[in-house]
Amino acid sequence: MTERRTVLIRYDEIGLKGRNRKFFEKCLLKNIKRVVSGIDDIHYRSPRGRIFLDIPSSFAAECSAQLKTVPGIASFSIGVSMDPDFDAIAALGIQWIEPKLESADSLKFCVKTRRSKKSFPKTSPEVNFEVGSRIMSELSQKGLKVNITEAEYVLEIEIGSSETVVFDNREPGLAGLPVGSSGNVLCLLSGGIDSPVAAFMMACRGCRVHFVFFDNQPFLGRGGYDKVLSLAKKINRFQSRGTLYVVPFEELQGAIRDHCNEENRVVLYRRMMYRIAEEIANRQSYMGLITGESLGQVASQTLENLAAVSCVTSLSVFRPLIGMNKESIITKAKEIGTYDVSIEPQPDCCSIFMPKNPVTRSKIPFLERDEGKFPWEELRDNALTRMEIIKVDDL
Amino acid sequence: MVYFDNAATTPMDEEVVERVHEGMRDLFANSGTPYKIGLDAKCLIEKSAESIATALKIPSTHRILFTSGGTESNNLLIKGLCFPDKKTAFLGLEHPSVTESLAFLSQFGNEPFSLLPFQQEGRLDLSSLSLLKENRVRLLCLSHVNNELGTVNDPLKIISALEKESPQTRLFLDGVQAIGKLRLSPEMWKGLAGYSISGHKIHGPKGIGLLVYDTKLVLNPQMHGGKQQFGVRSGTLPLPLIMGLETAIKNAVAQTEQTQNHLQGLCRRLIQGLRSLEEELPELKICFNSLVDADVMRQSPGMVNFSFPPVEGEVILHHLEAKDIFVGLGSACSAHSREPSRILMGIGLSEQQARCSLRISFSRTNTADEIDQFLLAFGSAYQSLYPTFLQKAEHR
Repeated sequence: MTERRTVLIRYDEIGLKGRNRKFFEKCLLKNIKRVVSGIDDIHYRSPRGRIFLDIPSSFAAECSAQLKTVPGIASFSIGVSMDPDFDAIAALGIQWIEPKLESADSLKFCVKTRRSKKSFPKTSPEVNFEVGSRIMSELSQKGLKVNITEAEYVLEIEIGSSETVVFDNREPGLAGLPVGSSGNVLCLLSGGIDSPVAAFMMACRGCRVHFVFFDNQPFLGRGGYDKVLSLAKKINRFQSRGTLYVVPFEELQGAIRDHCNEENRVVLYRRMMYRIAEEIANRQSYMGLITGESLGQVASQTLENLAAVSCVTSLSVFRPLIGMNKESIITKAKEIGTYDVSIEPQPDCCSIFMPKNPVTRSKIPFLERDEGKFPWEELRDNALTRMEIIKVDDL
Repeated sequence: MVYFDNAATTPMDEEVVERVHEGMRDLFANSGTPYKIGLDAKCLIEKSAESIATALKIPSTHRILFTSGGTESNNLLIKGLCFPDKKTAFLGLEHPSVTESLAFLSQFGNEPFSLLPFQQEGRLDLSSLSLLKENRVRLLCLSHVNNELGTVNDPLKIISALEKESPQTRLFLDGVQAIGKLRLSPEMWKGLAGYSISGHKIHGPKGIGLLVYDTKLVLNPQMHGGKQQFGVRSGTLPLPLIMGLETAIKNAVAQTEQTQNHLQGLCRRLIQGLRSLEEELPELKICFNSLVDADVMRQSPGMVNFSFPPVEGEVILHHLEAKDIFVGLGSACSAHSREPSRILMGIGLSEQQARCSLRISFSRTNTADEIDQFLLAFGSAYQSLYPTFLQKAEHR
């Protein structure tokens, strides 16, 4: 018979939810099932407050890697399910601890028990004592010492109503809320470092994130497009079922460049991007827009310019990076694996469209006057008609 | 599809593909093993090396090392010979694999001596060579054919000038762009410290190249391992790629004169066509950065580099790409840099001229008809982009 392992998954904020807790738990379980669907012979159980996966031990490493991509998991441990028999638990503990003593003179350890089955005849400290003393009697001569506050090795026991799990590891999860629990949103993805991080952060708040990219071909090559495909794929790993909308933008950029005040160009481009994103969001019932803007990072991200851009849409605009500095954004991008793609050199806008001195404090009436100089509704609709729609799961 | 970026890489010859395929399918053994299939592989590698030496007329004073390509060959010769303190010199217009290897040495206080003030049309002015003696330069590193301009440094002239002016200085040539375009003189080898060659620039496979170097020199290995190739370049030898390289070199050498004539015809047609376009389009002003109508001892026949301000080369490149015409902007290996070409700036072009340039590089597979297609597409892209760039230039 194949050796089995039990994965004990703890949730993050779902634990705080009230009457809709079931809904959040269902979302999380569904997302977990998706990432481990490649593992054969897997069984799920979800007693209150926990999700258990019963897997063949040979898949433990793969399962661990996959669970680290699921928002909503606080942490997880991989251990063994067994009867709450102290002798058997202590024997397992000895089996795990003994090899560690071979490579060290001494080891500080403790046993920690969590008992959700309140009818169990022993209290948690009593269980700790029963198991701990059995292990000590076997291994104290080899250098094992009990130390509850500074333990180098912790043997944990969870006694639940249906089963008892013994483990000695805890892996952190992404925390947050399960994707799908907060609804759909649309992220303006540029190919830079910031917007993928913003998308990831909203996925960790339970949103399913879709993406829109404004394409500058043929002024720039296909490099930007390929890069965004790759970024969308990387973020989609944390959620699945994202859609990428590629909107041809060169006509609108050309019109703005040819008809409007040069210094206003960047804000005008962004106002058009927001309008197009809003139209896509409305068509698909997405509930908000996400951008990677961080206050004051570049000329277009001053308070005045952010306001001048946000006011063209009635949708909520989420800017999860607004208070972060570049260094922390880069650290996050490295963690989620988007950084190396983002730094591939590929300009996000052709130099001929960029103004020499972009406005830092734009005035909305002036922007509106500029927008009266070219048929933006027509060009927006035209861009939407030519838009390419890509299912990111299929990439 | 029209492919005019053959200085970046070339399509593989069908015959080369077949040889590589044959090697991959049938000859898997490690050439370092003592049993017969390994020894057979070793024999085949030796045969390939001999056959390459014959084709390129490499004398027995020089040794052939198989490397992963031009970049590795240049790194191995420069670092292997000059680290830590042998003085070097260069023109400053070489491929990054030369200039960056020299920059690596300068981190250890071994600053290369730059001859950039003595460049003429992208080639070394030989009157500067006496400076090498004064500066105790042991190795002069140059491109045989410049990778962006196509200008040629004549090895025989440089070697004989070095003998007179600075006999302690040896010459190392990056020959990656020269093979198949120029006939190598067998006389040059005796004066050469080293010469590098890359497979994929001559319709051969990527991932394989050569370093030919004077066996009297001691090269310190840059990769350590199983001591293959005289201990200078460790690593199991890729027999299929070596077989492909051998075929590519033999073909390139056998067809050199024929290729030269063909490429010269193509260059003439392109230059004439661009001049006619200038007459048709009053807004178009072309400046040739590479030499026009020069003989093959001064200008490689496969390359034309020209500027057309105010329209940027990169934007034209993508407009041509939309019509399935692929051209070069500069060195493909430095396309990661958004800075204007160091080589074009080095020969005295302004930043705007450098940004507003294209490099067209031909191979023997290109045709006159493709040049006509290019001219048509270039003219129409230029016309449509000119107003935009004019406006940008006026704003500045």
